[in-house]
Amino acid sequence: MTKKNKNAQGNGSNGRPSEGQRKGTNGRGEPASRFYGIPLPGVNLEELGGSLIVLEGSDGSGRSTQVALLTEWLEGEGFAVQTMGLRRSFLVGEDIDGLLEENAVTRMTLALMYGTDFYDQLERRILPALRSGLVVLADRYIFTLIARAAVRGIGRDYLHGIYEMALRPDLTFWLNVRPEIAFDREFKKAHSISYWESGRDMSLSNDLFQSFIRYQSLIKREFEYLSNRHGFVEVDGEGSVSEVNRMLRKRIAAQLGIRNTHYHPSHALSQLWR
Amino acid sequence: MATITPEISTPTLAEPGPEKAPAKRPYPGALIVVEGTDGSGKSTQLYLLKRWLEIGGYRIHFTEWNSSPLVKSATRRGKQRRLLTAVTFSLLHAADFADRCERQILPLLHGGYLVLADRYIYTAFARDAARGCSPKWLRNLYSFAPIPDITFYFRAPLDVAVNRIVAGRPKLKYYEAGMDLGLSLDRAESFRIFQERILSNYDQMVETDHFVLMDGTVRVNRLQKQMRQIVAERVALTQFAPKNKKKENDEKE
Repeated sequence: MTKKNKNAQGNGSNGRPSEGQRKGTNGRGEPASRFYGIPLPGVNLEELGGSLIVLEGSDGSGRSTQVALLTEWLEGEGFAVQTMGLRRSFLVGEDIDGLLEENAVTRMTLALMYGTDFYDQLERRILPALRSGLVVLADRYIFTLIARAAVRGIGRDYLHGIYEMALRPDLTFWLNVRPEIAFDREFKKAHSISYWESGRDMSLSNDLFQSFIRYQSLIKREFEYLSNRHGFVEVDGEGSVSEVNRMLRKRIAAQLGIRNTHYHPSHALSQLWR
Repeated sequence: MATITPEISTPTLAEPGPEKAPAKRPYPGALIVVEGTDGSGKSTQLYLLKRWLEIGGYRIHFTEWNSSPLVKSATRRGKQRRLLTAVTFSLLHAADFADRCERQILPLLHGGYLVLADRYIYTAFARDAARGCSPKWLRNLYSFAPIPDITFYFRAPLDVAVNRIVAGRPKLKYYEAGMDLGLSLDRAESFRIFQERILSNYDQMVETDHFVLMDGTVRVNRLQKQMRQIVAERVALTQFAPKNKKKENDEKE
């Protein structure tokens, strides 16, 4: 078992459990706590097994790499895994891609299209997976959606209201990296910085580097607030892939009752391992 | 710093409240809305109101429910392939409305237009609640919408409304008939039960949302006369009149 839930990286909480942790994001709580507010129409909580594990973090925080590695590790341990992420719904995933390319979309419309995308995945992918006892690994969840909309001036209460029928994760990791590090990593990956990643719709700066840093700093501030409210497990995302992965495995192993936390990636994934 | 505009953070807009003095709107325009079940006659009446104002040369804009070009393809596909649940049906329509609200309705209201809307947020409240969405969740979802200056509620008895629709359409569409709710295998019957629920939800909003009740069984031209009278009483029409008319009116006073 891990000694502490938090691999704290400074900011905010001083070791005390947050609201979310006390209320039981530790998964083995009573089923009534699995939704934030009212349950989705037609969902019977007693049918739901499995676990929902969320990885949050900015662009360049290493989330997707970690999801790939964790999936392999869990499958090796005999757990069936279902993944989800933004814009992956059958219903509107591609429509959102189209909206993002056009730049004609305004903030409320985009926020609600993301909401549609989220609930479609929740109803058609996550709930069926949990009914079958799978482990769901989410590459981003409602928190990114709330943070992005909130920095654009949409009320936090409004946003929490939209997502009150979301399932409460059993574990939420926040891979925290400084915006400067995220910039380096993103630039290396794509050799350019995208319109939305740098928050250009917000007119923060004409200098794209400045725009990126300011935008990601605003998002980070929202995450600090969300972390306190929802009890994130904060992980220093600036560590090496293997270090971060070890921390995640330790915490997830405790959650799922896995004894063996040793893992070495297969040949197929070895290029991710640094 | 961030361009933070506060109007969306105020959740009071679409909440029913105790009767207050007519709210001060943060824009010079005005918004007139028609609501009611399918077959209640609302679209005909709004069309005639629009013609009256158009012929008079007023600064107006007409907007229709479920018509945003950005969201259209997603909605169409969702309906055709029957992919929508109560929640995603509701969110997709809210996204459609948000697009019209942010890119049409709000700019026009700020620009001093008289905006006419065939169906508005109350359609979502009545219909999505009939599908099983929580009314509180729905109220929050649409809390960014500006409150209408007048909401006309066209009410026709269930049989009258259902017969008008069933007689005029060769086949009711899947979601239109509420087939997703599993109320009945017969489309006409399902439509009827679904409309009954919607009608009852509308009725509950008459007081909380200050609807102006219009009797959908009254003759078309008589009903239109009433509608025009109410509009003239409650909206300062001179504000939207063409320049020469404005002068005439000023001289009269």
